[in-house]
Amino acid sequence: MAALLDIRDVTVEYDGHRVLDGVSLAVRAGEILGVIGETGSGKTTLARAVAGLAPVRSGHIDFAGTELTALRGRALRAWRRTGALQYVFQDPLRALDPQHTVAAAVGEGLAVAGTFTAPEIAARVEGALARVGLDPDLAGRRPGEISGGQRQRVLLARALAVGPRLLLCDEPVSALDASNRNHVLRLLAGLRDTGVTVVVISHDLSSLAGIADRVAVLYGGRLVEHGPIGEVLTAPRHPYTALLAASSPSVRRVRPIPAASLRGPGDRAVLPGGCSYAGRCPFATGACDTAPALSTVDGDRAVACHRAAEWRGLVQVGS
Amino acid sequence: MRRLALAGLLLVAVLAVAGGLLAPHDPLHQDPDLALHAPTWAHPFGTDYLGRDVLSRLVAGTGATVVAAIESVGVGLLLGVAPGLASLWLGRGVEWVLLRAVDALMTLPFIVFAVAVTGILGNGLTQAMLAIGVLFAPLFFRVTRAAGLALTRAQYVEAAELFGASRARVLRTHVWGKVLPTVAVTAAQATGGALLAVSSLTFLGIGVQPPAPTWGGVLASDLGFLAQQPWAPIIPAALIALTVAALNTLADDRGALRAAR
Amino acid sequence: MLRVDDLRVTVGGDLEAVREVSLTLGPGEALGLVGESGSGKTLTCRAVLGVLPPGAAVAGGRVTLGEVELTSLDRKGWDRVRGGRIGAVFQDPASYLNPSLTVGRQLAEQLRLKRGLPRKATRAAAVDLLAAMGIRRPEAVHDQYPHELSGGMLQRALIAIAVAGEPELLVADEATTALDPAVQAEVLELLGDLRARRGLALLLVSHDLAVVAEVCDRVAVFYAGQIVEQGPTASVIANPRHPYTAALLRVASLGDWRRRELEVIPGRPPSVGASGPGCAFAERCAHAAEGCAAPVPLSIVDDRVVRCHRAGELALAGA
Repeated sequence: MAALLDIRDVTVEYDGHRVLDGVSLAVRAGEILGVIGETGSGKTTLARAVAGLAPVRSGHIDFAGTELTALRGRALRAWRRTGALQYVFQDPLRALDPQHTVAAAVGEGLAVAGTFTAPEIAARVEGALARVGLDPDLAGRRPGEISGGQRQRVLLARALAVGPRLLLCDEPVSALDASNRNHVLRLLAGLRDTGVTVVVISHDLSSLAGIADRVAVLYGGRLVEHGPIGEVLTAPRHPYTALLAASSPSVRRVRPIPAASLRGPGDRAVLPGGCSYAGRCPFATGACDTAPALSTVDGDRAVACHRAAEWRGLVQVGS
Repeated sequence: MRRLALAGLLLVAVLAVAGGLLAPHDPLHQDPDLALHAPTWAHPFGTDYLGRDVLSRLVAGTGATVVAAIESVGVGLLLGVAPGLASLWLGRGVEWVLLRAVDALMTLPFIVFAVAVTGILGNGLTQAMLAIGVLFAPLFFRVTRAAGLALTRAQYVEAAELFGASRARVLRTHVWGKVLPTVAVTAAQATGGALLAVSSLTFLGIGVQPPAPTWGGVLASDLGFLAQQPWAPIIPAALIALTVAALNTLADDRGALRAAR
Repeated sequence: MLRVDDLRVTVGGDLEAVREVSLTLGPGEALGLVGESGSGKTLTCRAVLGVLPPGAAVAGGRVTLGEVELTSLDRKGWDRVRGGRIGAVFQDPASYLNPSLTVGRQLAEQLRLKRGLPRKATRAAAVDLLAAMGIRRPEAVHDQYPHELSGGMLQRALIAIAVAGEPELLVADEATTALDPAVQAEVLELLGDLRARRGLALLLVSHDLAVVAEVCDRVAVFYAGQIVEQGPTASVIANPRHPYTAALLRVASLGDWRRRELEVIPGRPPSVGASGPGCAFAERCAHAAEGCAAPVPLSIVDDRVVRCHRAGELALAGA
């Protein structure tokens, strides 16, 4: 599969503080890519950098042949008006204008594009609402007058109305209960069947695994592992991925590796040029004072860990 | 309170529009026999030193006074709101220049500035009110800026920009509706202040040539004859005070409404 | 030890948001209250703490802790119970800490107030307590201000303050919901640890059945203001008796990483006070029959208390 979005060696700095450090990642056309990692891992920054909302210091972001980091001013606005790439914010209460109706919010992108008549916009808004399973009667309501699950779907409809090729969703379900969460994720899964490529940031690994094709794991601003989501979560190559998988709550309470055995002492200093995870890693050695490169394993997987081959043998079950 | 204020302002508005038609007597008609007369049925507010009917002069003077006040607020809105928004959306250079200009304007005292301007541009109410309007601009500038500042970082503004929306469009669809209530309240308050300023200026004889009637003018002429009629200045003074109070009541009320929401 | 009898909580005057809720919690036990937002689980927990939101009031029933009837306490009585016999932690720890005082000072205040420690002894006791919460550098954290700590650290500090008075009962209201998964797992482990070491009883409120399953030995499932099923967690999960519990299980995190069709619960819960005399879940229930319009008595099926007409006859799938 060809890459629709190709992120190459992207670094983002805020006030001299590096929040994304040389991340390279390709999103293939027609797939759902999950992005996981903790607060501060850089996952939101990565999505915002692609959307043009974060200051990219170096690197390239190529979307179907267009170099996004080079776009400025008029050219940037013109590109955005094509609607090809849509960023779905995390918190609909903040991302929706409280004074605008659902219809106005969903139709905003079309109105901005300026190539549609009012009836065309109305028809597309209705279509977008139907696509996310929202009652057309809600069109006249304002964000404060609908439920949290409905608001989240309004955000999705707003992005879908402009006919995007790629959707970047920043934690679209973290504020929702299990049923609403699954509802929204199912909508995203349904989009794949209509040819839309989706990048979804989530920390609910189990439901993410239900819909995603591949997953990228970020830690401390670096990409530490990526590959097919089922394989990565079942047999993690990076200790941090393993910790995330073992920490994910489950009604079944079955864990091949207990989370406690994957937590390090936390007293190791993190060196500027070293592995970003070394400070928390129970398997870190002297080699981890230099940053590990992302290396391909098993064809479709990649991991950045000096001890990827050995750590599993060192896990002390029962500690 | 709000109803009372609204009723009062409605009355002032009617007087301002109809003015001379409603006056029981010709405001310019002099009757030396009746000079400085106490209230009677024919002249409920008495007469002035030239024997002119005070009620008629106040009624006829409403138009000029109110129009002048609104004029100055209009100039203030024009010179304050647009630059206020521009300072937020046109980059740091524009912002710096505008902030310094506003700081400079704010140091000027109202009346002195108006006197100076009429001194240069000629003695007319329009010139005087233009001057007052310029001095209102910093108020509207600051208020608009304060209301809009949070919106520059609002996520829905960012979201609109991600659709490729122009600055003008963002201002029209997302910003204007949130800034407007604040601006409206400020305008009501400023109108009160402007009425006082008009009255002060006409009291000083600036802006309007006698014998044309204005509220401030009536007050000034009454004050000249305190010895004969100590009660007389109370009538125009009360009229000015009550109108200003009504405007402030309304402004506060709208403010409370907005806060509640 | 904690006993809730036929509790009723009204909101806005006469809308019954919690109806006929009865539960018990023994020393050292852990009970989980689970349900969607608006199901009454949080109001029940707030009634136990005596901190109902404005507009909500206990309209009937009794809450007793040991021999003390909490529902009839005055302010002074509550001050003795809260912090002394009951500790509480909530979703947003930052808002429960004073930003201008160090963590240590706020902890010391509790230690002096509730345990009567002399001023000189508090520092050592506070540092010990922070260390017992799994905080790695307790001396440093003791002298730090809330804004200098991460969400997970803050929640640990808040737990330390909650247990400083050596309470019998710890109430955790969505205490791990806002945390990253790896940190959530650590805090849940800490809660389990406190139970084991201090004999602390735990009342855990969560919308996530998987979180409850991780730490609680019993679970009460709330729907539309009532408890619809209550029993031992393991058996409820393996063999649910109420169709709503079964539905919650289908949407919960299973801890497996297969690609699958995500389940949703169709429809929406009734709004507060809007349910009639019959089963409140009937309209969303796949097993609803004609008899479900009649009032549902609580029935005891095996080790379970269930509020379902068909509890005895349905065979529902567990996880």
